[in-house]
Amino acid sequence: MIILFVALPLVVAGILPLVGKVSRRVVPDLLANAALLFLLVYAAVTGRHLIAGGPVLQQLSWFGEPVAIRLALDGFSLFMLLAIALVGLAACLFSIDYMEQYGAKANYYALFLVMVAGMNGLVLATDLFSVYLFMEVAAVASYALVAFGLGQDELEAAFKYLMLSVVATAFILASVAVIFGMTGSLEFAAVAKALQELNAGAALGVASAFFLMGFGLKAALVPFHAWLPDAHPSAPAPISAVLSGLLIKVSGIYAMTRIFLNVFGLTPALSTVLMSLGTLSMVVAAFLALGQKDIKRMLAYSSISQVGYIVLGIGIGTPLGIAGGLFHLFNHALAKGLLFLTSGSVQQATGTRNLDEMGGLAKRMPVTAATNLVGALSIVGVPPLNGFWSKLVIIIALIQAGHPVFAVIAVLTSVLTLWYFLLMQRKAFFGKLNEKWAAVKEAPFWMTAATVLLALLCVGIGILFSSTVTTWIQPAADVLADGVHAVIGSWGF
Amino acid sequence: MIVQTALLIGLVLFSVLAILLRDLLKSAISLAAASLLLGIIFFRMNAPYAGVFEISVVAGLITVLFILTIALTKAGDEVRESRAVNWVFPLFFIAFIIIDALVMKGLLRKIPALASGAETGTFGDVLWKGRTFDLVGQIAVILAGVFAVLALFRKRDKHD
Amino acid sequence: MTNTWYFYLFFAAALVFAGILGLLLRRNLIKLFIAIEVIAKGISLLLLGTGFAKDNILVAQTLVVTFIVVEVSLVATALALIINIYRQTKSLDVRKLTRLKG
Repeated sequence: MIILFVALPLVVAGILPLVGKVSRRVVPDLLANAALLFLLVYAAVTGRHLIAGGPVLQQLSWFGEPVAIRLALDGFSLFMLLAIALVGLAACLFSIDYMEQYGAKANYYALFLVMVAGMNGLVLATDLFSVYLFMEVAAVASYALVAFGLGQDELEAAFKYLMLSVVATAFILASVAVIFGMTGSLEFAAVAKALQELNAGAALGVASAFFLMGFGLKAALVPFHAWLPDAHPSAPAPISAVLSGLLIKVSGIYAMTRIFLNVFGLTPALSTVLMSLGTLSMVVAAFLALGQKDIKRMLAYSSISQVGYIVLGIGIGTPLGIAGGLFHLFNHALAKGLLFLTSGSVQQATGTRNLDEMGGLAKRMPVTAATNLVGALSIVGVPPLNGFWSKLVIIIALIQAGHPVFAVIAVLTSVLTLWYFLLMQRKAFFGKLNEKWAAVKEAPFWMTAATVLLALLCVGIGILFSSTVTTWIQPAADVLADGVHAVIGSWGF
Repeated sequence: MIVQTALLIGLVLFSVLAILLRDLLKSAISLAAASLLLGIIFFRMNAPYAGVFEISVVAGLITVLFILTIALTKAGDEVRESRAVNWVFPLFFIAFIIIDALVMKGLLRKIPALASGAETGTFGDVLWKGRTFDLVGQIAVILAGVFAVLALFRKRDKHD
Repeated sequence: MTNTWYFYLFFAAALVFAGILGLLLRRNLIKLFIAIEVIAKGISLLLLGTGFAKDNILVAQTLVVTFIVVEVSLVATALALIINIYRQTKSLDVRKLTRLKG
């Protein structure tokens, strides 16, 4: 029952406000986390069995009549579902303690679960318009979650985020309309087949450009990234973790990749554009991260930079490149989620996000400092952590595909990444203990538990990278590398 | 065809007015008029359901929401808009219309399209049986909107 | 594509452009949102026009209906944000929202 991925969070979200009237804290915490735990177990355990024999297409029936809820679960979607459930669960656990200061926890969890439902729905959709619809579901929930604290900064960030996103969706829908006009259908399989028959040339190029602008904004690719450095820092820490770790990847990268690789087919021109945009994001954001004083803003720019890596990897188009890009997507989701959570711990303990005001926190918050270090090293790409392997694969793929220049740029950007993360480590955690923080304590139980979970995963996946790759990443990469054929034959209903 | 063209020109005119007018209330009403025209245009395209939705929801509900917001933010009139808008906007807009018309003329017959099969069923069939996942999505987006408004208007008993 | 499609595309493009121009030039938060509404009209016109030109009017209607439902949620959220911003800053001027730099 794949529909559970969407139905369960929605149903729980629906009953949360009612539950919230009765029990303000314990039951909402329990319900929300239980829902996410279920999703995680379902994806990890049953998911693999389901797709062992090829993509699973489910057409539900309602009281005997077939109802057109057509969901497709293949390697790529299962991979994303797993990532969503993992980081979502960690952020939800973190919220148990962190969101106490904001109040209205039942409402918060309801929005959180709707956002998860939206992301899951997007991943399972088989139809261009459904992709747009569930993207909007997650987006509307995210606007409210960014503004959840109701402070001036948060409201401003949420408003700008909303404005830019709406323009992006306008472009996406315009493209959908053109595709519908040309092919007469919206389903991936039908559109892919029809596009093969048509010689669509320029019109397809324009549609692709619009998709790139729209999904590129959702993914925060330079030059469409302007909303992210304001929105992600202002949001509550667990939401920043989900936004940076999941939403930009699901609404942006997944949608773009699914459409460009499985529906349109990756042409050399498209490949070049993707690689160039990816490299641009990678480099520009890394430079911008260097000058930041706010810890979360630095992390936000780092997200833009890492998304550049992912798009670069996927843009190469070779199976190895795609695998590297997807692996990095997964690793970044874990590591960046972890980093935003620890930044939340720091913010709660010290009341500030300004790096210059912190100092020597490792002495008072050892666990937070350790997990933060793991996350940072993972993104920088230090062996044996997971980030090292994914970056290595991307670089090897670049060299193999005959793009040595890009490979060199990727390596140099890694050095930049190392630099700004070291800055962050030194200013916040190591060095002399700032007098003001002599009395801070380690973060509360659930917050540390969530960060430790993610850190262990980073280390574990780094050590066991080959089995992770073969079980989760390779099936996903295969689906994408198959290009249009993955969808035309097997997704026809 | 003439009527349709006239309605479409009216639609564009009222929309532009809604953006250019200085008084917020007149803007909102101009937008409602534009929605009304769009609804009629939809009717004439054999799309009664879309027309009804457009008129009742966009011209009705959304206009009410706008007027509510305008009432709750009384100082809105004090925002001094730049005077340049009054000539920059028409200039660029008319330039765009000309480019638009030329591009459309140039594109005639250029974009390939597959002929599509005849449509079967009624609107109800298509919506409930043909695009059911969209209904799930609609429920989800309504939930998202409701929770968002609840979250943004909640009583703050603790300050953070 | 038939000529009718280009006919509707012409008007839809005009609406979208007017909306984007409005977004760039206006300063009142509510006006900005009215500009976004105009863009939404353009897009729904485009969707329905495409369906009409291809004789697929029923599917196009479901798309437009769903789109309008999404629009309502968006408007509600955005206006809630605007009201909150007004309560905090007592102003609706977008130029005052410069505490964060993008």
